[in-house]
Amino acid sequence: MTKTYQFPADTAILADIGQLVAEASDRVGLDDTAASDVQVAVDEACTNTIVHGLEKDPSKSFSLTVEEQEDQLLICLRERGKPFDYDNVREPDPDAPLEERSIGGLGIFFVKQLMDEVEYHVEENGDKILTMIKKKA
Amino acid sequence: MQMSISESQKGEVVIVHLDGRFDAGTSGKVEQYLKTKIDGGNGKLVLDMEKVPFIASAGLRVVLVIVKTLRQDKAGDLKIAALQDSVRRVFEISGMDRVLKLFPTVDEAIADFQ
Repeated sequence: MTKTYQFPADTAILADIGQLVAEASDRVGLDDTAASDVQVAVDEACTNTIVHGLEKDPSKSFSLTVEEQEDQLLICLRERGKPFDYDNVREPDPDAPLEERSIGGLGIFFVKQLMDEVEYHVEENGDKILTMIKKKA
Repeated sequence: MQMSISESQKGEVVIVHLDGRFDAGTSGKVEQYLKTKIDGGNGKLVLDMEKVPFIASAGLRVVLVIVKTLRQDKAGDLKIAALQDSVRRVFEISGMDRVLKLFPTVDEAIADFQ
């Protein structure tokens, strides 16, 4: 089953996204840990889009495609916001002492850590596509 | 789901009870609440997260900012209590569990201030 949703660039809709992702994870049969991983990763990806890409402008929107496959859950986020250098985001060091911890950078770190496959590309029309896959154990 | 915040007090320790998702949509409210406590002279804080089913990096950032503020000023500390398993996992993956004090229960977090 594949469904595509449109959401405004408003952090208030993150809870709704969490709910639909949880339901999809359940239907695919992901275990609790995997379902929780997907929740965090998708929330972080959407937050980045809303806050940085679309600058919290509720008149702008992004789409989320949720594809429930037999052995995995595929989620695709599509937006046309500010350019984003996905490959060169400075990742936080999980071993850093408290005083050296930076306040940012954790979002993409979580996406990369928690999903089994992540792919990012920009289409010719300017659409930025982030595809995330979580496989069943 | 909105974030509800309430508090209770035991001696000098203020326990801030969160109820809801701790994400980018609610983290500002929590940060403001905790900063108001610090500005009011309350440095010994426990964050009761028993009713928090989800935390995102925006929530972790708030925790980090408050802990840094309190420890830099030597004004006190923020101790994190009663994490659900899924939330604890987020703390662990980020490595935040290595630099913060996490307690299974609110009572144990309060006791650590003694």
